[in-house]
Amino acid sequence: MKKILVVEDEEGLRLLYEEELETEGYEVITARNGKEAIQKLEEEKPDLIILDIVMPVMDGMEALGRIVGKDRKIPIILNSSYSGYREDFMSWVADAYVTKSSDLEELKAKVKELLEKGQTR
Amino acid sequence: MKKVVTMLLAGGRGERLYPLTRDRAKPAVPFGAIYRVIDFTLSNCINSEIRHIYILTQYKSTSLHRHIQSGWNILSPALGEFIEVIPAQQRIDEHWYRGTADAIFQNIYTLQHEKPDLVLILSGDHIYKMDYRKMIAYHLEKGADLTVASIRMDRNLSKEFGVMEVDREGRIKGFQEKPEEPRTIPEDPDGILASMGIYIFNTEILVRRLIEDARSDSNHDFGKDIIPAMIKKDRVFNFDFSQGDCGGQGYWKDVGTIDAYYEANMDLVAVIPQLNLYDPEWPILAHQQPYPPAKTVLLEEGRVGMAINSILSHGSIISGGSVKRSVLSPRVMVHSYAEVKDSILLSGVDVGRHAKIRKAIIDKDVQIPERMEIGYNLDEDAKRFTVTASGIVVVPKWIKL
Repeated sequence: MKKILVVEDEEGLRLLYEEELETEGYEVITARNGKEAIQKLEEEKPDLIILDIVMPVMDGMEALGRIVGKDRKIPIILNSSYSGYREDFMSWVADAYVTKSSDLEELKAKVKELLEKGQTR
Repeated sequence: MKKVVTMLLAGGRGERLYPLTRDRAKPAVPFGAIYRVIDFTLSNCINSEIRHIYILTQYKSTSLHRHIQSGWNILSPALGEFIEVIPAQQRIDEHWYRGTADAIFQNIYTLQHEKPDLVLILSGDHIYKMDYRKMIAYHLEKGADLTVASIRMDRNLSKEFGVMEVDREGRIKGFQEKPEEPRTIPEDPDGILASMGIYIFNTEILVRRLIEDARSDSNHDFGKDIIPAMIKKDRVFNFDFSQGDCGGQGYWKDVGTIDAYYEANMDLVAVIPQLNLYDPEWPILAHQQPYPPAKTVLLEEGRVGMAINSILSHGSIISGGSVKRSVLSPRVMVHSYAEVKDSILLSGVDVGRHAKIRKAIIDKDVQIPERMEIGYNLDEDAKRFTVTASGIVVVPKWIKL
């Protein structure tokens, strides 16, 4: 079973993602900020990361660099309510950028696509 | 006008220059009596009206920092100009820079902050005079994504360089990193087009290619990875150094070994050196302390203070000793009856009475005692100094004699 790390500071969203992705057949682990995410990355070795950008303690942009520093190839989806961060060079490090929406179809499709791509790599 | 930011890679360890690099990074090694190696590249920038410069350092950077702070505090922050040293910060990766491309990638936040149109990537390891504006104009005219400057080198040196193959339009079609069997220049079978490690990138392409590289298994090096990958899919052009060479002599030297360093310094005492330091159109700037002028004193029987075919710097006194075909940095003292020839004496060296020095490099502040001989018995010298196969003796800094 593929393991997904959801990094999100809002508890409600965290629960929603967890439920929806588990229904899709993934194992889901969560972190509340970038710092926790790096810890979970090392302990749990997830297959894919969904990363919020604006978070306390350590934001997603900062965490993104460090995640790639530790694991060059792990697929990462940036997931933010703002689309403006697409202009940031650092955001290009992520494999995808999905703007938050009440409909999770786009996010789920990206997860599926990147995990499949990872298998052929 | 396009906004250009320069990233000057100054992290080289310069291991083959040891012991000159025992306490300093290669770009901070003194050269040509009053300069440091990096002064040539920085002067090229200033003379090319490029005034947004980041210097990326990592190993043994203290000496370089000090030099930049005291010698290159010449730009105007009020006009947005800067020369800023960025030490390796381990912001992304908890390692030293893995390669040249990694050094730029690790500073992606800095590029983000500046958002230039073009990024000029330079190294602080070479001695040359070049107008980067000519290369930028060429890059724009060709509509290139990346332009690489090159110089003709003899084919037997191919193992030291990135070797390029170029089509009629100047587009780079092949790139071999340090090949044993290089592709030579079509009309010149003994020559190769060697990359000088000078790159101009469109910023967006640079960032995208750096990210692709960072996320793959690679050496994270421009010559080994980025350029070979880019020639397959992007517009990569060759810029011929002779089109931007301000000395007009095709002079470009990597003073990466003691032999090369010695020869390049010695070339400067020629009547007409290949590298002209006296050209008012292309001044090489250096950090100069306000020492008094150099002087030569004493004219007695057997006790003549003189310097011939040599470079003297301020603060030096040649007092009753002789200096021939040598390069002397500031504050060098040569006492009576001493003899210095074919040598490079760095700042603050003191040569005692009756001492004899031949074909040697004496590092900063070394005191040569009375009657000591260096360079006359290489077996003896090799017991405490570095002696090259070609017979150059290097006396390191801090040594007590």
